[in-house]
Amino acid sequence: MAQSRVSSYSLESQRVSLARGSSASLISPHGTREDGRTLHECRAAFLQTGAVNAAAGSAYAEFGQTKVIVSVFGPRESKKAQAYSDIGRLNCNVSFATFAGSVRGRAGQGVEEKEYSQMLYKALEGAVTLHTFPKTTVDVFALVLQSGGGDLPVVITCASLALADAGIVMYDLVSAVSLSSFDTKLLLDATLDEENSQDGSLMLACMTSRNEITQLSLSGEWPQGKLSEGLKLCLDACNKLAGLMRIQLRISV
Amino acid sequence: MAKLEHGSDDREDVELEAFRRLYPSEFLQQFLKEGVRPDGRPLGRARSTVLSVGSLPHAEGSAMVKLGNTTMLAGVKLEVMPSPVDSPDEGRIAVEFQMPAICSPLVRPGRQSELEPVIAEQIKNALTSTMMVDLRELIIAPGKAAWMAYLDVYCLDADGSLLDAALLAAAAALADVKLPEIAITDDGKVFPANVVTEKAQTLKGKRLKLGKIPMALTCALHPKHILPDPTAEEEGILKTTITVLTDFSGQLVSLYKPGGEVLASTSIVQSCIALAKYRGKELQKIFTEAIMKADSDDTMDAD
Repeated sequence: MAQSRVSSYSLESQRVSLARGSSASLISPHGTREDGRTLHECRAAFLQTGAVNAAAGSAYAEFGQTKVIVSVFGPRESKKAQAYSDIGRLNCNVSFATFAGSVRGRAGQGVEEKEYSQMLYKALEGAVTLHTFPKTTVDVFALVLQSGGGDLPVVITCASLALADAGIVMYDLVSAVSLSSFDTKLLLDATLDEENSQDGSLMLACMTSRNEITQLSLSGEWPQGKLSEGLKLCLDACNKLAGLMRIQLRISV
Repeated sequence: MAKLEHGSDDREDVELEAFRRLYPSEFLQQFLKEGVRPDGRPLGRARSTVLSVGSLPHAEGSAMVKLGNTTMLAGVKLEVMPSPVDSPDEGRIAVEFQMPAICSPLVRPGRQSELEPVIAEQIKNALTSTMMVDLRELIIAPGKAAWMAYLDVYCLDADGSLLDAALLAAAAALADVKLPEIAITDDGKVFPANVVTEKAQTLKGKRLKLGKIPMALTCALHPKHILPDPTAEEEGILKTTITVLTDFSGQLVSLYKPGGEVLASTSIVQSCIALAKYRGKELQKIFTEAIMKADSDDTMDAD
């Protein structure tokens, strides 16, 4: 395209910039959020396995406005260029659709996509029994159809469901939840608007039946008391989410 | 006893699957001999088609198509651009077709599939030659500003006849586009209508006026049969395809026969065109119903 863009027109980006820095508008005096949830309530989740027929296993997840689809291929032959490995490889890739956000993104590997791919790999690595498929690769590919906040935890949850759907042996399902901090308040499973004005965030991925954390990422300021309260909230939410995932798997079998 | 029977069923399934993989063309042949396709439909029928419009809130127009297992999601995003120098009274539409790695075991991330630019170009040609959207509909102010429409079609599940599904999704997404209400100043600056700060003229939001709507039908050629709307399995075995593009009224837009093993005689080409015309009527009904449903949902939301 020869033309340069004068202005990227979007009503939504205007709304986000107005909301930034004013947490008061996001939480009503009665302690409810813009979408009617209480502070420690997760968004309504919809999970479905077998979304992509061409894949060995797949899952679709919808948490509020966040919509993600994950396909799993393999175990299949590793790329020729890779050295011999007596344990299996897990290859993760996350990409965003161009219409995922309010401003049209450039298709292809952005910095965020690379970071998310790496984080997804690290969150799942500990759960998959890699030694059961030596010399081969399992590919986990995620596409974010709509980005509505908490994208990474939704991708992790959905990917672990897709791995189970593909029959890849895991120690346990991995469920993940994010938490946003506003001054003294903690908001579970934040939306995009809320994430844009948060002053700190916490993301927890864990295997609930084994009581093991596979990934924990913190940003912002987290005093000791607040951190332990946040972890407790996240663990509780992960437990409930894992329950939902198990129900979905039982239905699909 | 029941358990024993169940066991033998399982073995039959495994043997069937092995036969399917080891002798794919014989497998297909067994079905065609009986006058059915491996997925159970009659020889001359397309797969069941589901179209839903307006599923992406971030896009100004969107549509999702399921053609059997083949799934396409199309979104149109609008941006304001200065009027093109060579055609000051027109906007632009850019078409991209994406096959992300989730859609098929053959696609790897970071490597572009050969099909992507081919299908994008075919969609673009079909939209241009049917004049489905008059580019003058996308003007904001002649010589000052116009709309740039990015039409992205994503393949979420690839199971054959990709162009057919992608073109349907693309056309429905364009039909769903509603130009937003905006305000423009005398020197050509454009704002959303609700944040006007300077003296500006407001333009009402509107739907695009649509011309003729294109559709495609891919037919796989077997020496004795014509199989419309092939699955990926059938495409892999038969290799020769003819793709007919028409508009909903049945007028021929274009025809592709990219080589292949079976040479197509005139009568085969004509049969394919006849099948496409029949399919056009089916798709027109599905298309109109989906758009009407989206419109009635819109008015219900407005109430």
